[in-house]
Amino acid sequence: MASVTPLRLASTEGDVQSDVSVLTERPWNVVVWNDPVTPMAVVVVVFRRIFGYSNNKCTHLMLTVHHEGRAIVWSGQRERAESYCVKLQVAGLQATVEQDA
Amino acid sequence: MASRLFVRRRDGRVEVRVNDAGRDILREVFVHVVAAERDGEHEWHLSLHSPINPSNDDDDPLSTLARQHEIATNAELALMTSGEQYLNEAEAWAWLSTLQVALRATAVVHGILSDERLESCPPEVLEEIQTIQHFLFDLAACL
Repeated sequence: MASVTPLRLASTEGDVQSDVSVLTERPWNVVVWNDPVTPMAVVVVVFRRIFGYSNNKCTHLMLTVHHEGRAIVWSGQRERAESYCVKLQVAGLQATVEQDA
Repeated sequence: MASRLFVRRRDGRVEVRVNDAGRDILREVFVHVVAAERDGEHEWHLSLHSPINPSNDDDDPLSTLARQHEIATNAELALMTSGEQYLNEAEAWAWLSTLQVALRATAVVHGILSDERLESCPPEVLEEIQTIQHFLFDLAACL
């Protein structure tokens, strides 16, 4: 009788620890900075159009920029962060990317 | 109540209720942004090329190229439609983006990076900024 190879081997904590090296990369943040001339309504419109956030979230982020001088408006992969940053700059906002501390 | 400069119509278009003098101002702003993107010597050029990732010496060329292309495309579309009575969504967005780019460039060129600097800037610069802000307030309200 032929031996049957199990289709799936049960993983144990030991297997995972010995075989897999998990690398977790810190996310990249898109940061919007305050400036003294940009109307608040424009910031809300730009956030809504670029990220599709709700009005409440856009307003909250805009107020964070206004009161704290900056706000992280998106976090994730580096390429997407840079792409969002470019879209914000094209819309005339002061934006940069930075890796999460 | 002051009349609005831009009004969203029921068919989705944005009606431009700006008079000829206002359109001349808008056209001049749009022309400046087009020129600034093309001409490295233009006083607004540097403000259109701010860093994306300030911790790197250089930004990804593809990202900077995309930014350059999109700013120029928006400004050219805004300029081409500066005489229109009605704008579609893409055209209205191009106007808003280009006006906002011009507003920030004006502030950066005059070193207006804080509320204090804004309050103490020359009257003609303040008037220029407030004019662009007025257009932006009304346009943002219908987008």
